[in-house]
Amino acid sequence: MESFKTWALQYVLSDDEAAQLDIAGQAAKEIEGSRASSTVVGNWAASVQPWMATAQPGNDDQMDDGDDSGNGDIIARAKALGFLAATLEALDRNILRTDQVARLVGFFGAMFSYDHKAGITASTKALRQLRAMKNFKPDMGVKVIEDVSKIKEDFRLQLAPTRLDIYELFLGLLEDESVRSELQHKYGSSCGFVVDLLQICQHERDPKNLLVWFEILVALVRSYDASTEVTEEIFKAFSAYFPISLRTSATPTGITAEDLKSALRNCFAAHGRLATLAFPFLMQKLDQGDAVTVSVKVDILKTIKACVEQYENPQVNVVPHIEKTWSSLKYEVRNGEVKETIDATLEVLRAIANKVDGTSTQKFGASMLKNYIELVFSDTREDLSNSTYTKQAGLLLMTVVTCNVRAYVLESSNLIECLRQNIRQPKSPSHTKDLVLLLNSVLRARMDLVKNRANFNPEDEKLLQAESHTPLETLFHDVYLPLWTKRINDPRLEEVDVLKQVAQGFALIVRQQAVGPDGQVLLLSSVTVCSEICSLLTQSLTQCLSLSSNDNNVRDSALGDEIVLALRSVVMNYTDGYAEFANKARAEIRKRDWTVPSKHSLRALTDLVMRLAFIGCSEIPSGVALGTPSQKPFSPLQHFITLASTALELFDTSSLLGAARPGVSVKESQVNAYIMAALHAAILHFRDACTEKYKQEALASYSKSDRDWVEEFRHMPRDWLRQLQETNGKSDEALASVTEGNLEVYRQFLRLSLFIVRYLYLADSTEESSTPWSGQTRIQLANIAAFVVGSLDEGLQKSCKLASEAFNLFRVDKSPSMLSGPRDSRTEPLTLGILRGLWPGAMIEMYKPDGVAQTFMCDSAGAGSLTSRESQIRASIGLILANKYKGGASTSDPDGQVMGQVMDYWGKQLQVVTTSTNISSTELEALITHAMHIIAGATARQDKNVLGLVSVFQEVIASQNGGTVARSIGILVQSNDLLTPENHAVVRRFYKQWVYSNLAKPLYNLALPTKNGSEAAIRYTAAILSIASNCPFTVYEDDLEPLIRLIITALAIRTSLSKDITRLQVVPALEILVEVLANNADSLKGHLRAIVDSATAIYKESFHEHQERTKQDSKPASRASVLHIVMCRKLVLQLLAALPKKFEVRYLLPFGRVLRRTLWEACGDPIRELRETARLARKNWLKIE
Amino acid sequence: MQKSELDNANPTILSVSQLPSRRATGGTARHGPDSKYDYAALASLSSDTSSWPSDDDIDGDHGDDHDGEMWEAPVDEQEIYDLISTISDPEHPNTLGELNVVRLPDIRVTPAGQRSNLTTVLVDLTPTVNHCSLATVIGLAVRWRLEQALPPSYRVDVRMKDGSHAQDDQVNKQLRDKERVAAALENDTLRNVVDKMLETCA
Repeated sequence: MESFKTWALQYVLSDDEAAQLDIAGQAAKEIEGSRASSTVVGNWAASVQPWMATAQPGNDDQMDDGDDSGNGDIIARAKALGFLAATLEALDRNILRTDQVARLVGFFGAMFSYDHKAGITASTKALRQLRAMKNFKPDMGVKVIEDVSKIKEDFRLQLAPTRLDIYELFLGLLEDESVRSELQHKYGSSCGFVVDLLQICQHERDPKNLLVWFEILVALVRSYDASTEVTEEIFKAFSAYFPISLRTSATPTGITAEDLKSALRNCFAAHGRLATLAFPFLMQKLDQGDAVTVSVKVDILKTIKACVEQYENPQVNVVPHIEKTWSSLKYEVRNGEVKETIDATLEVLRAIANKVDGTSTQKFGASMLKNYIELVFSDTREDLSNSTYTKQAGLLLMTVVTCNVRAYVLESSNLIECLRQNIRQPKSPSHTKDLVLLLNSVLRARMDLVKNRANFNPEDEKLLQAESHTPLETLFHDVYLPLWTKRINDPRLEEVDVLKQVAQGFALIVRQQAVGPDGQVLLLSSVTVCSEICSLLTQSLTQCLSLSSNDNNVRDSALGDEIVLALRSVVMNYTDGYAEFANKARAEIRKRDWTVPSKHSLRALTDLVMRLAFIGCSEIPSGVALGTPSQKPFSPLQHFITLASTALELFDTSSLLGAARPGVSVKESQVNAYIMAALHAAILHFRDACTEKYKQEALASYSKSDRDWVEEFRHMPRDWLRQLQETNGKSDEALASVTEGNLEVYRQFLRLSLFIVRYLYLADSTEESSTPWSGQTRIQLANIAAFVVGSLDEGLQKSCKLASEAFNLFRVDKSPSMLSGPRDSRTEPLTLGILRGLWPGAMIEMYKPDGVAQTFMCDSAGAGSLTSRESQIRASIGLILANKYKGGASTSDPDGQVMGQVMDYWGKQLQVVTTSTNISSTELEALITHAMHIIAGATARQDKNVLGLVSVFQEVIASQNGGTVARSIGILVQSNDLLTPENHAVVRRFYKQWVYSNLAKPLYNLALPTKNGSEAAIRYTAAILSIASNCPFTVYEDDLEPLIRLIITALAIRTSLSKDITRLQVVPALEILVEVLANNADSLKGHLRAIVDSATAIYKESFHEHQERTKQDSKPASRASVLHIVMCRKLVLQLLAALPKKFEVRYLLPFGRVLRRTLWEACGDPIRELRETARLARKNWLKIE
Repeated sequence: MQKSELDNANPTILSVSQLPSRRATGGTARHGPDSKYDYAALASLSSDTSSWPSDDDIDGDHGDDHDGEMWEAPVDEQEIYDLISTISDPEHPNTLGELNVVRLPDIRVTPAGQRSNLTTVLVDLTPTVNHCSLATVIGLAVRWRLEQALPPSYRVDVRMKDGSHAQDDQVNKQLRDKERVAAALENDTLRNVVDKMLETCA
């Protein structure tokens, strides 16, 4: 006894929560230790006696006086009771006996009658603990509810958290099944306790409490069969809150208005017995007109929807309210303007249709649904003929007719007939458009229903099987075709939209599927209809070739795009259609003379062939059969095969066409390049289609095979693709087994693509030089090869021995010494194409010492005689070979000597050419560029052999022709399209830092003008700038100070020395300045005058020079040099435009006047882009005043 | 400004695609769904997007479309249009181009396409209604914009199109008077209106 008293006292005196918990724990242990003997429990309960004395009813007046001692008592008493509650919380749930629990329930329950100030919080807590006790009996639950209800009005005076506790106590009790039946037993349907509850809780405002209160109300409605009067009272209790909103509070509770709305919505939808109250109430709220805001309206609509969806027994609870609901809702759509309300309304209408149809397990009779839809029909039918309301009426009808299978089967023919009649008597083109749009939507919705039928009730499947197809079958001839033929030849602007819809409609007709009696799915339309649609669309796409350039094509481009998409849909389902299209296109192209095509006809050709590629290859066709089976078997690759075969055939024809006229120039054979472009696009589209269907990861691992496809191709006839096309690929064993959902599609696509590449390579490399292969066509082909080869994985590249084909180009007569003879620069782009796609691992064979790669890389013969393009392609090949080198154990170069030799070779070459006096500048340039590219390839890989060249570079830059080296050294770090992951290049992450620190850094000392004579120093500066300008800012960030000094010097002395070295360092210097200004402007603060002076001078010089050059009309200025001059000005203007944004006005004031004048003049620069920059710069400088 | 006070409360507005632009007149780019891979497949056929050097790299004809922006292109009517069509209307949330106040055919640059010591730019404006009280302000903004954007060797003349405004003579007189223009821009209120209008210009 004493110990409990002491603990109670300690508890009351303590303010530390942890200590209190500790004390309660000790008390609980003591009780548990005694196995809850009556004495101990009695002592424990009596331990709070000293504080309870004041809580007797007779003392209430004294307490209410509110003197200090009274308040102290209240707090102490609350704490004392808290001690009991905390002990109960710590106590084992099984230890108290039934009589003990009952007595405690009685004790704490009594507090709600006597002690509203101190007792409630602790008692609620204690009661919640007691409720969880093992020996808590249902009748005690009833007693608790009755006791707690006695608090009456004082409930409102409790703190919000206390009220929350009480709500939770109620909720726990009311949801307890045994308490529920006890209450039901005791009170029956009069539910007197509910009335008490409603009374005490009716003024709740706290959002957190409301959430629980609403839950209590839901539980009351759902689980207690209350009388109508009580139900009405409950309904009043929550409907008074509707529509609910939440004020923003200074102390956010984490509860949103949406939480409250949905909790309240649950109350409305709690049980069907609320239907007679809820529907009229909500309709009345909705019909208040403009007084209701959008969000309230949406809330009402969502609540109606929830009621419709959740009420059981729709015959009784929903159907009687449908008519009233519909007459309120229809205006929300018919005259509504706000999308949210319209959407929410349609949701309600859909919910009603689905409710009266039944569930996926149980269907109701059809009459309810039929009556509902007919109700909608009767009100909206008229509106369809009124162009103002067509869309809205259609929307309403569409929503109810297409929301489930039965609704569709029952009423779609009615709707279609309605639309059909109105289309016959349209009010305006836009009315026609709206009607066709609706018809299309019906078709689209039907497709979704058929597609998702597996998720519906089995009865739905039967309904679909029994569906009459006549209304759909006649649509094409009755509706769409007349609309199309009447307009297509000369559509007026407003009719283009109708045609777009009709094109979509065509596609939708072909895509319709019919479910056969055995569940088998077939295309609904007949072959004749499909074929007719296909030829209509084909006709409008191929006719672009015959139109003259005066025809207005701009207007048609949107329609053309729609037709393209429609035709794609058509041929993906009616698969024979694509061959028809391809044949037609081929015939149209062949009909024309392509020897000297005009710009317009080339454009028309591009459109046609690119569309041909897109339509057939941007999706994988689906294998749904027609009613009359096609003569050819289906293959997912059939369109790709058709496209490829058509393209190759066209290609052959146009080659012949060129060959028949020996004098044709390169430009005239451009047609081939366009056909090649279409082939390229087709391959890219098909790859995308595979990615879309099978996902990227699946494809990444799927080109695996150890077959030598190239060897297999050798045994195939030249017109293999043509043969495949005739049988849709079934003549080939591997292709025959491919099915639509199978990853094998991708592998076979790669195989076909490789065949195409080989075919075209052979066509180019074996035919006579008089064939009209233009450089463009060849580059186009190389791009295809790079993509196709690059898509194969390393193993497949090895098994197909593609590395050897890089130089052999698939020719059969392999000669081991193919590189020994004079090289054919004509086919080098093709070599580059294959090399770009190869994985380094697949190229190991090439890197034998003195093997193909080394021979190529160490060959500088004839460099001076190549055109710039040829030498750049050769340099690119060198770059790739040097980049993809792999040496060391288990490779062809176990000692890793190849690259060392290559670097030595070029080191020596550089030394020779830079000191040679009898070398032409073109040759010098070509050789150095070539060398730099090869070294760049090795550099990206951070090949250690490159470091051996550091001293060579230092030496050659200082020598006589070193300027060219200094200028070109930036190539080592220049971004290059070949060094990308698509080309499987080996690029180390920090290679630019590596180059900078190994090559550029040591040059800083040498670049000081005092050393090595000023010419050499300037070349070293040029080399540093060349490297740094191609590196990101972070690479040279640490050397900013010396770098800026070099730049300032370089810009200052730009005119004092021979032009070739000094002028060419201006551009990189300005590039770096722009970069530094963007990243670390402060470092330039001390050099502003020098920068502004040099910049203005450079602008003026370059402007002057530009004028001089363009004045010399006799000889057009060389593109490179003019470009350089323009570049200087562009950078200067960029630099000047950025200065005012980076520095405070006080730093710039001295230059304002001069620069504003200079920039004003620059606004008249001959180059448009520069004028724009100048305007921007001037605008920025106008603020510096 | 209240809606009821607008001179023309319901002007005709052109959509962006209806405005004249350099790209639309060039018309070389394809835009349809089938043009997704044009950049890759047609790259080598248009030298401006290709990483490959073209055959005529050394001395090709620079007049070609593909050579892009880095070649000489004199200030033309389209450029003037681009400069002023983006000015906002003082009372509608639209630009002068969208309201068809500025029209490409009503801009003249003389002498056209030549480098000369003095070039004249003549802009005729068409107010949305012929009693537009803000015509002078619009004219002032156009004039100010062009004077800011064109070099000193350009003379700018902004007028109301003949018959487009009830008092076009008076408005034209004001706009032609350099001193009055300068004085108007000294006026803070007016200057703020003009600056506000020019905010939408690049």
